[in-house]
Amino acid sequence: MSSPKSFSFKSLLARHEAVLVFVILFEVILFQVLGRNFLTERNFSNVFRHSVEIGLLAVAMTPVILTGGIDLSVGSMMGLCAVLFGMMVNALGMDPWVAAALAVACGALGGGINAALITRLNLPPLIVTLGTFSLFRGLAEALTKGAESFSGFPAYFLALGNATVAGLPAQIWVFFAVAAGIWFLVHRTTFGRSFRAIGYAPEGARYAGIPVARNTSLAYVIAGAVAGLAAVILVARLGEARANAGIGYELLAITAVVLGGVSIFGGSGTMFGTILGWIALAILNNGLTRISDYKIMDQTVASVARELSGLLTGLLLLAALAIGASIKTLAVRHARKQPIPTSKPEPATQ
Amino acid sequence: MPDNASPIGLKPILKLTEIRKSFGAVRALKGVSFELLPGEVHALLGENGAGKSTLIKVITGAHQPDGGRLEVAGIEVSHLTPSKARELGIACIYQQPALFPDLSVAENIALRLKKTGVLSRVRWPQQRAHAVELLGQIGAEISPDAEVRSLSMPEQQLVEIACALGSGAKIVIMDEPTASLTQKEQHLLFKVVRDLRASGVGVVYISHRLEEIFALADRVTVLRDGESVGTNAVDTLTESQMIKLMVGREVASIYPPCEGAPGEVVLSLKNLGCAAGAVKGVTLDVRAGEIVGMAGLVGAGRTELARILFGITPADAGEIFLNGEKVMISSPREAIARGIAYVPEDRRRHGVILEIPIAHNMTMAIHPKFFRGSILRFDAESELAANFIRDLGIKAYGPEAPGGSLSGGNQQKVSVARWLATKPKLLILDEPTQGVDVGAKSEIHKIIRSLAKDGLAVLMISSDLPEVLGMSDRIAVMRGGEMTGLIAKEHADAHTVMAAALGTNGKEVA
Amino acid sequence: MNKYFREITVAAALGLLLLSLAVFAPHFFQFQPFTSRLTSQMPVLVAAIGIALVIMSRQIDISIGSQFSMCAIIAGVTAASGLPLGVSIAAAIGAGALMGALNGVLVAYLGLPSIVVTLATMVTWQEALRLWQQGRLLNLPDGIQWFGLSQPAGQTVVISLAFLLLVGAAFAMKHLSAGRFIYATGSDAEAARLAGIDPKRTTFGVFVLMGALAGLAAVLNLVQSPQVQPNCGDGLELKTIAAAVVGGVAISGGRGTLWGVLLGILLLANVNPALTHFHQPPYWEKAIQGLVILLAVFADGLRSRKAQT
Repeated sequence: MSSPKSFSFKSLLARHEAVLVFVILFEVILFQVLGRNFLTERNFSNVFRHSVEIGLLAVAMTPVILTGGIDLSVGSMMGLCAVLFGMMVNALGMDPWVAAALAVACGALGGGINAALITRLNLPPLIVTLGTFSLFRGLAEALTKGAESFSGFPAYFLALGNATVAGLPAQIWVFFAVAAGIWFLVHRTTFGRSFRAIGYAPEGARYAGIPVARNTSLAYVIAGAVAGLAAVILVARLGEARANAGIGYELLAITAVVLGGVSIFGGSGTMFGTILGWIALAILNNGLTRISDYKIMDQTVASVARELSGLLTGLLLLAALAIGASIKTLAVRHARKQPIPTSKPEPATQ
Repeated sequence: MPDNASPIGLKPILKLTEIRKSFGAVRALKGVSFELLPGEVHALLGENGAGKSTLIKVITGAHQPDGGRLEVAGIEVSHLTPSKARELGIACIYQQPALFPDLSVAENIALRLKKTGVLSRVRWPQQRAHAVELLGQIGAEISPDAEVRSLSMPEQQLVEIACALGSGAKIVIMDEPTASLTQKEQHLLFKVVRDLRASGVGVVYISHRLEEIFALADRVTVLRDGESVGTNAVDTLTESQMIKLMVGREVASIYPPCEGAPGEVVLSLKNLGCAAGAVKGVTLDVRAGEIVGMAGLVGAGRTELARILFGITPADAGEIFLNGEKVMISSPREAIARGIAYVPEDRRRHGVILEIPIAHNMTMAIHPKFFRGSILRFDAESELAANFIRDLGIKAYGPEAPGGSLSGGNQQKVSVARWLATKPKLLILDEPTQGVDVGAKSEIHKIIRSLAKDGLAVLMISSDLPEVLGMSDRIAVMRGGEMTGLIAKEHADAHTVMAAALGTNGKEVA
Repeated sequence: MNKYFREITVAAALGLLLLSLAVFAPHFFQFQPFTSRLTSQMPVLVAAIGIALVIMSRQIDISIGSQFSMCAIIAGVTAASGLPLGVSIAAAIGAGALMGALNGVLVAYLGLPSIVVTLATMVTWQEALRLWQQGRLLNLPDGIQWFGLSQPAGQTVVISLAFLLLVGAAFAMKHLSAGRFIYATGSDAEAARLAGIDPKRTTFGVFVLMGALAGLAAVLNLVQSPQVQPNCGDGLELKTIAAAVVGGVAISGGRGTLWGVLLGILLLANVNPALTHFHQPPYWEKAIQGLVILLAVFADGLRSRKAQT
């Protein structure tokens, strides 16, 4: 009656997150041994302070990827929202919190543009977001005439990016809130659950009465809004709003998501996985920097190690993809295997 | 008129002897022998599920038989692959054309027919001329320069036929070639078939249209339950005899009996039609507590009708009344809200999602109602799933088991559970027991009957004739998008239903 | 609808642009700067030919910019170490082909989606280059610039090479089976398989070709200045994909012409200079690029919707 195979199927999935935990532990130990000042409170605080923006993007990108889509425009969205924020505060004299809220709204609007093109016109997400990737960045550059930047923000605003609250960087609390919110959405609401169904079986989801277009649109809108939020946090941290904010961030976000075990084909993956992937990436980047501080190591080797982080990121992504693809094939093949029926068979196929 | 049975002494160009093929524990072909003579049109007849498809796949090399011999032109072939089959001169025209949508007709034909080296030069004028020639031979009025994407389905099929013609094949298999052709195009096809025969090609012709078989075929082989029940010259059989061969067996299974009289009319269709779905003028009533079986051959329009009722392709003609109220159904969500549930035919794409737990699969259609405030409650969901697992006798590890860990029959039960959870007033089942083993089949039948007893109106689409006969209180038969018969249980037998399905008997027996 | 509707529209838009320039800013057509501008657009054209092939076979390659940069540096380093020009050229093209082969293996034979594969390889090459060159400019020995010829002669060589390649590639796509196989694979890979065309081999080949063309493009770029910047390929993927999509190469694969790509390049590449000559600020370039991509894909979407009756 029971199928012992179903156990291994589930644990196959859980295995990815477990592997990540081991990877993170391994990284921590490695860098503590090789590096200097790695396992200090200050360092860890920095690690996460500097990676919150990427974390936010990764967390917001997860629902989009779960539906089987992708959003390449989130980094550029950050640039645009940062610039708009800067303009609102500097040029229009708005209160920074009001401007922040509006920046987030702009992000949502940008996400809505993606959503409309993708769901209403059935255009491929890849190319649509490639187009908006260029458009949003271009608008940011145009608005700042390619050179301007905004600064001179009030100290209480900059605290968002630089202060410490209850022992942790201030922005980390924002990240916790957003991550918790999106985790709740994806894992505890019907809306979030529909992403999985849409990713695995877009037509089947429709037959089950799921409003596919509406839900998919919201996923892109959320991604845009969170990008706007990430922009605000970045500006608070750097004290400066420029058009080049967030360049390359979408790549890092996607890397974190794929590393976290979310399948690029859609359907499978967890928020926990994304967060673990993000942590692993953040620690990797930081740890390699810390290696260079270690006195005993040769300076050239040390500087090489520092440079390696980007390269390793690319290689890690490739490895994660290959592993992810093979896990998927294994899981599907396993799930489709039919146990022999227990009663007398009859020719049922044509 | 076809010639008499081909002269004795002519060697068959294709000969299958005692071909056996099983899929797991399911025996699709139980030892079928079949032979094709050159210059012959040999029809292959049989119900859905009789084994025709599998036999064709063995001939084209897509499946390897578990036993038996296959000979082409007298030479035994042991491991036939699709490319080897092509080389041996076997061509098959499927219902789904495998053409390149963005390329022209001429280029499609050329790519299919010629094996060219990577650096060889494309000869455009010759390519075009060749296409013109082949299309002309069929008499198809299709421009060789037309982009395949812009052609209609029937036109694309004609291109496929041109490819087969051009491939110089000696054995041509046609699988329901006229299914989507107009009258005019059908005549073109008949001419092609006759020309092929005249040139010495052997044609295996699969069709449900008896009039075509009488018009074209020399011999006919009838398959039933994976066995051949006879090969006869076409002019020695009457229509009635053919049908008898197709369905001849006794109804072996016992179906749960109908108890009680049907109640109020739940669904009433008046002249329902949808141009895109190729359904016209359907008028039908379904009452609470009643099971209306929908019989007909593949392509008759039954699934299309279901899709209209479920809002996938909304109707553009006629009316739908639910419990007396006129409704317009424009989306599945709306259909569900109105109490219509549809258990789809295409299980792979629309059915149980294999990677997701059973519990989620079951609640998928009721999320808005079941989870108040859109917040998931796993305990309530597990309980619902456990109840269904118990009530429907689903053999599963537990509510958390992924859909893919179940057998086909149990997956189907999960699918039914999903729709029962919506507490529908009308339940449309599309091939509910296709591919399901006997045990689970019987259980599903009992479930359907008890649902009807509880007051559900049931519309059951099925190609399994005994099932239709055994389960239905009334049988609606469709053909070519229209209803050709509405038969009460007392007057229903295999012959009448099949005749209505084939269109040889248009009488309505109330 | 005419088969070449898109190409004609783009040609018309380009014509309009050139016409307005002729009327309002005739100094756009001054020989020297015009030729220099045209020459600088040739590497982009060559790279765009490669990406057009990739897109036509229903894939995408966003690592093209990093490949370009890497090939440029490899050529520069080979030249700087005293080896003859021919060796540098071969090294660049060979390196490109190898990088393309990596993409090809992962996409065609491992079945991984090309967007993420090329994302990963893009980051990998970019970072490897950064490690290697540390952002340093590379000075080229004297014999390299303009192939050792005078500037006008060198410009002629570059432009002619690029156009020869374009003509050759366009010919191959239309008249050689290899080209038709690419269209077929992009149109319906399964039908291709059934027709005996190996879609995996075709896809792999296209990526290798793309890489080699990136290498050639890098060389054509290299000879135009005395130095090589390690980030010379930045933004190339966007420029080339935009040009291809605008020129009628559909993302869904199986359609498009290389002449359309040429038109797309000419149109998009001249937006910036046109802006300058109309005394408009140049920083609108990216925004216009993005808009043009969206417009093109929108038009593609409408077209396939119409055909889907």
